[in-house]
Amino acid sequence: MEQFIYYLKVSLLSIKRAPLPYALTVFILSVGLGVFFANATFYYQLNSDPLPGKSDKLFFPMTLTPYDCNDCRPPRILSYSNVQKLAASDIPSAQAAMYSSDGYARLTIDQPPTPVVIRITQRDFFQMFDVPLLHGSVWPDDNGHHQVILSRPMALKLFGRTAVVGESLLLDDRNFRIIGVLDEWQMLPRLYDANGRNHLTANEDIFLPLETGYDLNYLSKTNSQTFDDTDYRQLATEGRVGALHQLQYWVQLDTAAQQEDYQQYMQSLAEDEKAAGRHPAPINNQLVPMLGIVDYFGDDPGDIKAFALVTLLFLVVCLFNASHLALNRYLSNQYEFSLRRALGASRSQLQLQMLADVLLMTVFSLLGALFIGYAGVSLMNALLPQNSLFSTWDLTLITALILAAFTCSYLVTLYPSLRASFGSLNQQLKE
Amino acid sequence: MSLSLLLKVMLNRKIVTILLLLQLAITLALLLNSVLLAQQTHQQLNQPTGLELEDTLLVQLKPTTPQLRMYPLLEDLLQRQVRALQNIPGVIAAAYSNQAVITQGGNNGNIYDVDNEDRTNISSVPMYFVSPDFFKVLNVNVVQGELPQLSSYLDGDTQPGVILTQRLTERLFPGESVVGRQLNRGPVSAVISDFYGQRSAEDVMYNSIQVAPPYAVDWGYALMLRTAPGQAGAVREQLTTVLQTVEPNIEIYYIRSLAEQQRQLYRNEYGLASLLTILTALMLLVTMISSYSSAHFHVLKRQQEIGVKRALGASKRLIFIELLSESWLCTLIGAFLGIGCALILNQALAQVISIPSLNWWLPLITSAILLFSVTLATWYPATIATRVSPATATKAL
Repeated sequence: MEQFIYYLKVSLLSIKRAPLPYALTVFILSVGLGVFFANATFYYQLNSDPLPGKSDKLFFPMTLTPYDCNDCRPPRILSYSNVQKLAASDIPSAQAAMYSSDGYARLTIDQPPTPVVIRITQRDFFQMFDVPLLHGSVWPDDNGHHQVILSRPMALKLFGRTAVVGESLLLDDRNFRIIGVLDEWQMLPRLYDANGRNHLTANEDIFLPLETGYDLNYLSKTNSQTFDDTDYRQLATEGRVGALHQLQYWVQLDTAAQQEDYQQYMQSLAEDEKAAGRHPAPINNQLVPMLGIVDYFGDDPGDIKAFALVTLLFLVVCLFNASHLALNRYLSNQYEFSLRRALGASRSQLQLQMLADVLLMTVFSLLGALFIGYAGVSLMNALLPQNSLFSTWDLTLITALILAAFTCSYLVTLYPSLRASFGSLNQQLKE
Repeated sequence: MSLSLLLKVMLNRKIVTILLLLQLAITLALLLNSVLLAQQTHQQLNQPTGLELEDTLLVQLKPTTPQLRMYPLLEDLLQRQVRALQNIPGVIAAAYSNQAVITQGGNNGNIYDVDNEDRTNISSVPMYFVSPDFFKVLNVNVVQGELPQLSSYLDGDTQPGVILTQRLTERLFPGESVVGRQLNRGPVSAVISDFYGQRSAEDVMYNSIQVAPPYAVDWGYALMLRTAPGQAGAVREQLTTVLQTVEPNIEIYYIRSLAEQQRQLYRNEYGLASLLTILTALMLLVTMISSYSSAHFHVLKRQQEIGVKRALGASKRLIFIELLSESWLCTLIGAFLGIGCALILNQALAQVISIPSLNWWLPLITSAILLFSVTLATWYPATIATRVSPATATKAL
């Protein structure tokens, strides 16, 4: 330990002798790491698995196409009648159709209304996506109920507390009973709603049964398409039978056998529908796993990917640059290295000295990288606000940064120190 | 000073030269692609919209009660709001529309000539349902036919007339007279000059308009107004109060000028271009530091050599030019490599974002920027080199 402290002291003395080249090396390394880390934060969070251990069991089936086309994929949103046909299968362990809508909530008619985002769905939704309940329970079945489940922030906003099961609220001036309140929950990325980059947005405030949503004519706030003369103002009637597509549909298939069976089921369904003249396009069934859904829809935010590539290159440039500066610094100090060698220090002892240099550089560049990384994340939030939910740091990210800082410092110092310690002793002493 | 000597000097310090060349090449690649992206964003923000961006205001809003979102209360509300807006001093015209202009997407559908569906069907054309003064607000010109003076109903016995933009008309009926022709949405009443509708449409200038109250406003609607030149700010300040006075049960999502609406639409591109510009500036700084450090170090290392040259008659100017020439040669080789790197990076970026291809003149300009930065960084070390006295040569003896 004493020896190590000595090495650290020698390193500090060396820095004091020529502080500018050292400061420039640390600055360049900090900038490279900080910029890379800022973007890596978004990249990591955007590509993280929101349901580890379960996401590979959740699938989005798309099968029936109500129009003629060549080589086309089925619509990315489903009609109510198509969902009913898919839901007739008992192969999935769980299944839920869903969409989101806008509304206004208040406790009494005299209060100003609060804008809310509503997820209109079925009871399996909560089990499939591991949605935690703090109070109450979900609906007993998939029928229509004038019952809602609130998110925790919405319960706090409306009532100032979370224990509100059994109380009522007005949603678009209609009376609803609260049967449940969610615990803290933020699924990021929100892959169950990946259409049109909605997976980048926050969770909904209120959860309403699907049948009630259709009965009360709640229209999708994100994506809806009509492929026939269905009047979208008549969701309760025409919307249930016509080609009005606005639903996302997820199934849970736990085993490979279930997945195979479900593919078979979709194939038979498509063939039956084709025979009945309701599926004019060639059959092109899709059973997309949850982690592949953003890619499938082509809604991956390219800006973060593009910037990831660029920041990686920037880090490489900074490493080259810092190596270059470090090389100059070590070559300037080569006389000192040679003198130590002449006085009996072995090359391995010189390498230990180098390790002390690396540790010091890691500490300084890590501090700089954290500062620049924080500034970078703030800047990216301001310039690309749609990704702002993905700007949090966690232990994994910080640990990765520490390792990256150490590795980079080591790489930057390795070649220059080797070159200095393997320099010609006689020549250096002559100089 | 010969090229072979310069190359020899560079080869004497291979590792440092390779590191410097790699930096210069990657810096140029990034610089080139950042400029391309910035250029594209600039073009997008400055493309013609056919609209008066600064003097046209847009209010996006929605009634907060279900009754106000249904007829007949909805129609009454729309008329009251438009009347109130028209009465604001400085407002030339006001109108409602089921959706705003200059948006990413919105309410759209297919459109075709009923006599020629197969050839003319266009799958996604914005459908605007508006009040009669909508055209006055947008200040568009009538190219053919006449604009409807009164509003009719989409659910009525006869379909309201359809007004098409010029570019859409050319696509549907190339070179033909169109007034009275029957589309799936109704008969064509008029053709107007082009304006920017939806970015996701096949062509941003494809728009069809019908003078009729919208089917529904579950997704909100837009109130649009054109102000006298220079009055937009004053009118904007009054909008919230005026609209809340007309009807308090509304939620105003935003109030924007069309110029702001356009910037909002290209916000991501603008953000990415800004980030790349900042990164490029940082990269140039890093390259300058590297060039400075390299030149400075080698001047110190070569003091004796420079002293000998001075003693043999080399002028200060020659020493100065020689050192700069080393940096220039290194930069030019780096820039040459950088163009290759830029092509690779351009193709990689094109996989994930929309970016134009490289042209022939941009590499020249960016190489010149790089050369200028390196010259600036090497200037001071080169000046130091000129101060080396010929007497230094004696130390080498």
